[in-house]
Amino acid sequence: MGAKVIDGQGGSSQTGRAIAAVRESPRGELNAGDAMKMKKFINRPEKLVAELLEGFVLSQPARVSLVGDRLIARARPKPAGRVAIVTLGGSGHEPGLSGFVGEGLLDISVPGEIFAAPGAPRCLQALRLADRGCGVLLIVLNHAGDVLQARITLDLAERESLRVRPVITRDDISGGADRNARRGLVGFLPVYKVAGAAAEQGRSLEVCLDVAQRMESNTRTLAVAVRAATHPATGEAIFELGDEEMEIGMGQHGEPGIGRMALKTADETADLMLEALLADLDVRPGEELLVILNGAGATTLMELFIIFRRVHRLLADKGIRLIRSAVGEFVTTQEQAGFQLMISRMDPELTALWDAPCDAPYFTVR
Amino acid sequence: MTSEALTRMARCAAEQIRNHHALLSQLDSACGDGDHGTTMMRLIERVASGVQVAPGAPLRTVFKDAGWQLLGGDGGASGALLGAFVLGMAADSPQAGSEMGSREVDSALAAGLRNCRRYTEAAPGDKTLLDALVPALAAFSSAAGRGASLADALREAALAAQGGAEATRHMTARAGRGRSLGDATLGHQDPGATSIALLFNGFYQGFIGSERGTDHAGY
Repeated sequence: MGAKVIDGQGGSSQTGRAIAAVRESPRGELNAGDAMKMKKFINRPEKLVAELLEGFVLSQPARVSLVGDRLIARARPKPAGRVAIVTLGGSGHEPGLSGFVGEGLLDISVPGEIFAAPGAPRCLQALRLADRGCGVLLIVLNHAGDVLQARITLDLAERESLRVRPVITRDDISGGADRNARRGLVGFLPVYKVAGAAAEQGRSLEVCLDVAQRMESNTRTLAVAVRAATHPATGEAIFELGDEEMEIGMGQHGEPGIGRMALKTADETADLMLEALLADLDVRPGEELLVILNGAGATTLMELFIIFRRVHRLLADKGIRLIRSAVGEFVTTQEQAGFQLMISRMDPELTALWDAPCDAPYFTVR
Repeated sequence: MTSEALTRMARCAAEQIRNHHALLSQLDSACGDGDHGTTMMRLIERVASGVQVAPGAPLRTVFKDAGWQLLGGDGGASGALLGAFVLGMAADSPQAGSEMGSREVDSALAAGLRNCRRYTEAAPGDKTLLDALVPALAAFSSAAGRGASLADALREAALAAQGGAEATRHMTARAGRGRSLGDATLGHQDPGATSIALLFNGFYQGFIGSERGTDHAGY
């Protein structure tokens, strides 16, 4: 069941809709107007986060461990004399964000409740534990709760004379011209990567901040959703989307985006999204891009590869160089179907930092 | 207002949230991700279980403990704003006194709001909890300025919070998670503002209950 963005033989939206309709009807599982029922393997809703964190660290004992008040830290803290990288954010988006704690990436991640930012006291504890005497870079995705808790955390850290510099990631172009209205989507990943690599190389807090900000300001993302997720604690669908509809600009928590339209094919969807991203970042022929294609949770790798092939071809046609890429699930929203397409303009230093080795549970470069 | 009265006020406010958490989540599904009631439940249960009030304890200590529990409750934007508000009240409350009059409470409330607004750019009219909090504080302040009793000032604050929450129905979200929904939020009451109205109603009911020596918390 469920609508998929599939490339029809003729590549027309008509074909895409027809395929979606055929897939829905035989079993009649999802009729218009039916409330979506939650089907998840959970125990008690109030124990969700504790149990997922426990399982996560047990599955990766060589790489991560639980420290302090439910913080995810590297199993082996980095040596003294290096800048530390810390992030914070709600749970329910696995493997984001704690899946990127590890050598060459994050030192500590502060997981919040399902879709809700962690409290400032735990963030402050993370900063204290992470600091190796050279200061801490705090990377925050632009969502109201995350930013508010981070601002309070920075105030508390200042009282303790901790050296902390924040970077707010705002890559979602559906927020419009006002950068503060742009949410943080999968664009956090290259920011973690370049900042983490610079920190591992022993660069100063100012240098780590500079590369993180340069990466952030050269990154743009657009999301599309074709089916809603259910909130694992409440069991309710977090938005409604018709069987033959898709929504471009969908947020990480299923917040509605900028455009609801009839379901299109893979190629049409890729074209629409890539054109918007290239225009927003003002990419010129000859420039070098990193492309990340992130599945929202229920969209298959099959679909992502079909999309990626189209993105690759379109960039080649325009003379834009796709020099690095990653396709997979880096930040999800439960069983939401859809994906995020991210582009970053690279320069030689950022590319070298992207290529530097790292070893986290859900991102490794050797 | 003594620490005993404050305890009763907090208890009645928590009861309001417990009785209406499903409504809060339902309102949030129109403006956010549908879990505001769950978040508020988590926050009030933390305050209920984490704040121990010794008889005659300074109110400043009570506010401080409650503020840290709210801030530490992993409650996203609501937890941050409510925590900052109550910690701001603590900082303005008398160092030692175990009782506060309406003017002292008024000053502490104003300090709470200032602390809150240090961290958010949201303004009244943006369809956030401020749309209930700001009118509630203004009503309290004007009653306290007229020399009204604490009970009367709390009643006017509760009524203003209720009116403020209802007025959010006609607003378009310009801050928080609802911002990306824009005009789609029109016609829906803001869940955060509704929580503030419930809390203030609980504060009033709890306060008059403590004056009467009962725990009556009608709505």
